[in-house]
Amino acid sequence: MNVRVIRIGLEEWRSLARNRAGLVATLLLVALVLVSALVSFERRAGIEAERAHYQTLVDTDFDNQPARHPHRMVHYGQFVFRPLSPLAFVDFGVDSFTGNTIFLEGHRQNSANFSEARQSSLLLRFGQLTPAFVLQTLAPLLLIFLAFTSVARERERGTLRLLLAQGVSGPQLLIGKLLGHGGIALAIGTPAFLLLGWLAASAAAPARIVVLLVIGYAAWLLLWAALAVLVSALVTRSRDALVALVGIWMVVVVLLPRALPEVAATRTVLPSKIETEITLHRALKQIGDAHNPDDPYFAAFKARALARYGVSRVEDMPVQYAGLVGMEGERLTTGLYAKSARAIEAREGEQNDFVRAFGTISPLIAVRQLSMALTGTGLAAHQDFLNQAEAFRYRFVQALNWMQAEKIPVVNAGEDPRVSADNWKTIPRFQYRPFVPTSAMIWPNLLVLGGWLAGLGLLSVPIARRLGKATR
Amino acid sequence: MSLARVELRLILRSRLAAAALALLFLLSALSIWSGLSAVDRQDATIARVTAEQARDLAAVAKEYGKPDGEAGYAAYYSFLLTHDRPSALAFLALGQRDVQPAVLRVRALSLQQQLYESETLNAEQALPGVFDFAFVAIYLAPLVVIALTHDLVTGEREGGRLRLLLSMPGTGLWRRRIGLRYLLVALSLLTPAAVALVATGAPAMLGLGIVVVISVYLAFWFGLSVLIASRVRASATAAAGSVGCWIVLTLLLPTLANAAIARAVPVSKGIDLTLAQREIVHHGWDIPKPATFDRFLATHPEWRGHESFKGRFHWKWLFAMHQVGDEAVAAQVAAYRASLLDRESWTVRLGWLLPNVAAQGVLHRLADTDLVAQLDYQDSIGAFHKELRSFFYPYLFLDRPFTRADFGLLPSYHARSGTASWPAIPMLLLLIVTGLILAASAVQIRGISRDDSR
Repeated sequence: MNVRVIRIGLEEWRSLARNRAGLVATLLLVALVLVSALVSFERRAGIEAERAHYQTLVDTDFDNQPARHPHRMVHYGQFVFRPLSPLAFVDFGVDSFTGNTIFLEGHRQNSANFSEARQSSLLLRFGQLTPAFVLQTLAPLLLIFLAFTSVARERERGTLRLLLAQGVSGPQLLIGKLLGHGGIALAIGTPAFLLLGWLAASAAAPARIVVLLVIGYAAWLLLWAALAVLVSALVTRSRDALVALVGIWMVVVVLLPRALPEVAATRTVLPSKIETEITLHRALKQIGDAHNPDDPYFAAFKARALARYGVSRVEDMPVQYAGLVGMEGERLTTGLYAKSARAIEAREGEQNDFVRAFGTISPLIAVRQLSMALTGTGLAAHQDFLNQAEAFRYRFVQALNWMQAEKIPVVNAGEDPRVSADNWKTIPRFQYRPFVPTSAMIWPNLLVLGGWLAGLGLLSVPIARRLGKATR
Repeated sequence: MSLARVELRLILRSRLAAAALALLFLLSALSIWSGLSAVDRQDATIARVTAEQARDLAAVAKEYGKPDGEAGYAAYYSFLLTHDRPSALAFLALGQRDVQPAVLRVRALSLQQQLYESETLNAEQALPGVFDFAFVAIYLAPLVVIALTHDLVTGEREGGRLRLLLSMPGTGLWRRRIGLRYLLVALSLLTPAAVALVATGAPAMLGLGIVVVISVYLAFWFGLSVLIASRVRASATAAAGSVGCWIVLTLLLPTLANAAIARAVPVSKGIDLTLAQREIVHHGWDIPKPATFDRFLATHPEWRGHESFKGRFHWKWLFAMHQVGDEAVAAQVAAYRASLLDRESWTVRLGWLLPNVAAQGVLHRLADTDLVAQLDYQDSIGAFHKELRSFFYPYLFLDRPFTRADFGLLPSYHARSGTASWPAIPMLLLLIVTGLILAASAVQIRGISRDDSR
């Protein structure tokens, strides 16, 4: 029995070898994965070098600022550039759609600007040439083309009847075909996986992540090979199999991922940036006005500050009171910004959860999420960067405020008090901690892919039985 | 007429053809719903923000609009709203409207610090691209064309009817069959769009443009698919060959070209100008004030003699410094814009070769939703910002009080008139490419008639 199954599987390989168009397409696809991997590897390095260059440039600029009042440096601010994860060459993810630089300053939360999508022509919307694009979008089409005739051709040529008459059972035939095409799918994936592994190793990506990535993509390819064989076994004519499979591809890979976001956006409306700013501004006004001597909040703050230093007048404090007020203001605004950022994050999360729930129907969504999570290019990674940037903003602004409190004389500061330029070097610089995907971003998606494979496996039982009976 | 009716019945009897046409009609209708929904959402956002912004400005007026109010405070705290309403055709081709801001507010401070602000955007949902009519027409409709034409010749041959058909008297068999299929596809795709265009009262000339571009584009795919269908012996090969062409044209070449253009035309000038501008504005605090005013007065001589003031700070100096900051980076701004337009023009050139890129370009030009439209919006913001600055300068330089009533005089943004246009050259080249492919397929089909009837 096993020998028969293997022979049927091998026969599919032989038929691929004879099918010149199929062979050319396969080689082209493999070449495309390899080329896209190398091109994006190089492109990632270029982008990363550019961002690193800008980061060094702005950091040096900061150090070289002349003697100034520290509050001026709070508004001179710091630029941070988001480093691109080492595995971004596999999947650029949302990188092109998010700004990659933020200007950080005191009591303002600026947006990340200069996204590639805003600076490109509409050509970008056809997709970006990365291994992820080739594997997610093109590879399923190739697998369809290689497998849509697999069983239907035997039926059309009458060889199915012949095989069954020779004692080959329906399950044997189907398993053989599945093995053959599963093997082809993996063979197509292997050069890509090897190259990805090698490049990933040279980019110092964790092995565990690379292995999971390969498992995810292998499951995705197997899924399409299995689907194509099963559909081919279900229909009477190869052409119907091709049409059905291209139809499924269209819905699963192209249509759902594009149509669902519009539904999600209608269900959960994101407030525009201006609305958020205005709401924040109002909330700030409600807390209090530090410039108003009768303001209850800051009157209480002043009383506490005086008590802490055991003095009765701000002029007697060992630190500059205005600096303390600056720190308190920054603390309050940052708290409000964080709340507002969480609220928007929650809304985006609601939209994403809605779309991701369809990952069970459209495994593309699952494999895309998995790929972006593992390569560190998904929305979660971007949000993690925003959070790190915001935490850093708070730290360096407070450091400057404290510098003001400590170093600007309390009395007789003069008309234009400044601190010397060598102080800027002591202000913290942005240190990006690489994003680590949580298991909640990995396992549910792997589970969906595994579930699809299992479901197709289950489905193959009645199909195999039918295949065995069909021509008896 | 009766012949055509027979052919029509033949086409619709094929389950595949009928299903493909129904699907196309459904997708077209759905995409129009999706486009209208996206446009409605943007209009709603603009309306919401306009109301909210008016309240915000009223609060500023209340706080700073005192009888002896200082214009500096008013200028510093008054944000004024600009908006970019979706054009009449935007619902058909949303283009970049999903990532470009539809509203932006500016104040009289440096424009370059405000112009590139991003809108809140869910990047994960923007990533797959929008689902609009342009997508269905450019991306998906060719697959329906292939479904309807791939077995045009081979299907008859495989069914053993080809010799009989060719030996029958009368001419124009293929023309009739192809023409009918073309009409069916065009009707399925364009009917929902035409209904929506009429219902929304879109400008007829632009709407006609959409219909023409899509008609030509469909003709290209008919030509290509028929060319392949009449060259091969088996239906499956024809289908595979045509879908292969579709993959190369819509998935492969554009992504390759995009990678090449992104590499050849870097746009990091945007960051350069932002950084340069920050240095200049902050440097302004460290240099003697006359140095800033000298540069300011060189471009604004009308305020000469009004620049001096007592004390350390005057608002007019701050705003002059911001004006100087903008002017100092004018060359970088121009270079940045040139690089963006460079990317756009390379894309247009690519369209001379790739009909899908051409159709995409023309559709979005007609809908005014591409990069050119965004730059036009930025220009209109720039013009408005200039107006805003000039409005405040007399108050600032003549030390005129800024009262509650003066808030009522603030300039308001007038929507840009739009740059929607018929791009002639891409259109012409699309026509030429389509004509060539149609001619080639006509020659090929005639060849079949001769070969097989022999």
